[in-house]
Amino acid sequence: MPELPGRKVGIVACSGEELAEGTVTRLAALKVLEQLRPRETVTICLPLFLAGGEGDRAFARFYPTIALDGCEKRCAARATEQFSGKPAASVVVNDLVGEAGLARPEGARRLDESGRQAVVVTADRVAGLVDELLGGQWNRRSGSFAEGAPATTTDPPPQAGCACGSAIPVQTVDVNGQAVPLAALPLIFEQFHGAGKAPGAEVTKELLETVKIYNDVAAGTDAELTAALAREYAAFCRQKGA
Amino acid sequence: MSGEERKVVVVPCSGIGKTYGTVSREAAYEVVEDARPGSTGLVALSLLVLGDEDARAAVRAHPAVTIDGCKLACAAKMVQESGGHVTQGIAVLDVYRRNRELKPQGIAELNEGGQRLAHAVAAEITAVVDDILAEQEGSTHA
Repeated sequence: MPELPGRKVGIVACSGEELAEGTVTRLAALKVLEQLRPRETVTICLPLFLAGGEGDRAFARFYPTIALDGCEKRCAARATEQFSGKPAASVVVNDLVGEAGLARPEGARRLDESGRQAVVVTADRVAGLVDELLGGQWNRRSGSFAEGAPATTTDPPPQAGCACGSAIPVQTVDVNGQAVPLAALPLIFEQFHGAGKAPGAEVTKELLETVKIYNDVAAGTDAELTAALAREYAAFCRQKGA
Repeated sequence: MSGEERKVVVVPCSGIGKTYGTVSREAAYEVVEDARPGSTGLVALSLLVLGDEDARAAVRAHPAVTIDGCKLACAAKMVQESGGHVTQGIAVLDVYRRNRELKPQGIAELNEGGQRLAHAVAAEITAVVDDILAEQEGSTHA
């Protein structure tokens, strides 16, 4: 049964090609993804927030996301917030380099020794943040943690990797005559159906709450959306039963 | 990229999860640092995503060669969205199809096949840059 990807942390690196610090973000992100926290992390290319689809833009609403930037322009943090969702944490390489007393990294193409040390320092900081984020209950809608709330799920994360080409699935539904794209709806339907939840008022209410986790639902549209979800889920279940 | 002395901008994709993204990046560096340092310049894709005015101005003012590591073609799309003109879009996968012996592996660090593939991509871009410059030269003297 497909599972909602609730137990991973997203990493979005600026990858800035012009600066050595951009290369540091890229290599630090890869170090976390491949070596330090391969089972707990996933990434996406920053430009996909614009060049990709609705599923790509849902990335930071699904995953508590760490934005990793090389310089004070903070392209990754700002673009993630603008086009996807508020990052859970933000790291700027320049700041870490200063804190660690390292020389400014040089060599965007081939990092110098200071740059290589900056990769280690940055990756360690990001790995620590990953642990913190997985230890808390991330509220995707508010972009903050529920205070004191423990993590609640334990699904084993699959192989770490890039989210490119495996965007969050989106289903467009008719809500009171308007075509509304809803991120994760196919997965939510699969999950509910797999759990043996038959269409009905209580299940529809639960569906609505789950859909709201991953989507910004316009205020005052609960009734219309509820009707649409009831209709779509019934159709989904009929199709599954056929 | 800053000055007017540059004549062609090179915009590689930021592909971070796949080896073709790294090939794209390495090829771009080879062109702007080794092959045609005086006449080309890099524009970071992240700046275009954020709408940085200097980056947008650079792709509007100069012919752009984009390098993309996957079919989503983020580099080409972002240049177009920024008001620039993609004079030539290079797809790493296409270059690989023409050079099947150069199988790239690794993301943080490319294997030898990846490095050679990056070199092949860079060679194609360099030829494109030369064509663009020759055309500019021709129109200047016409």
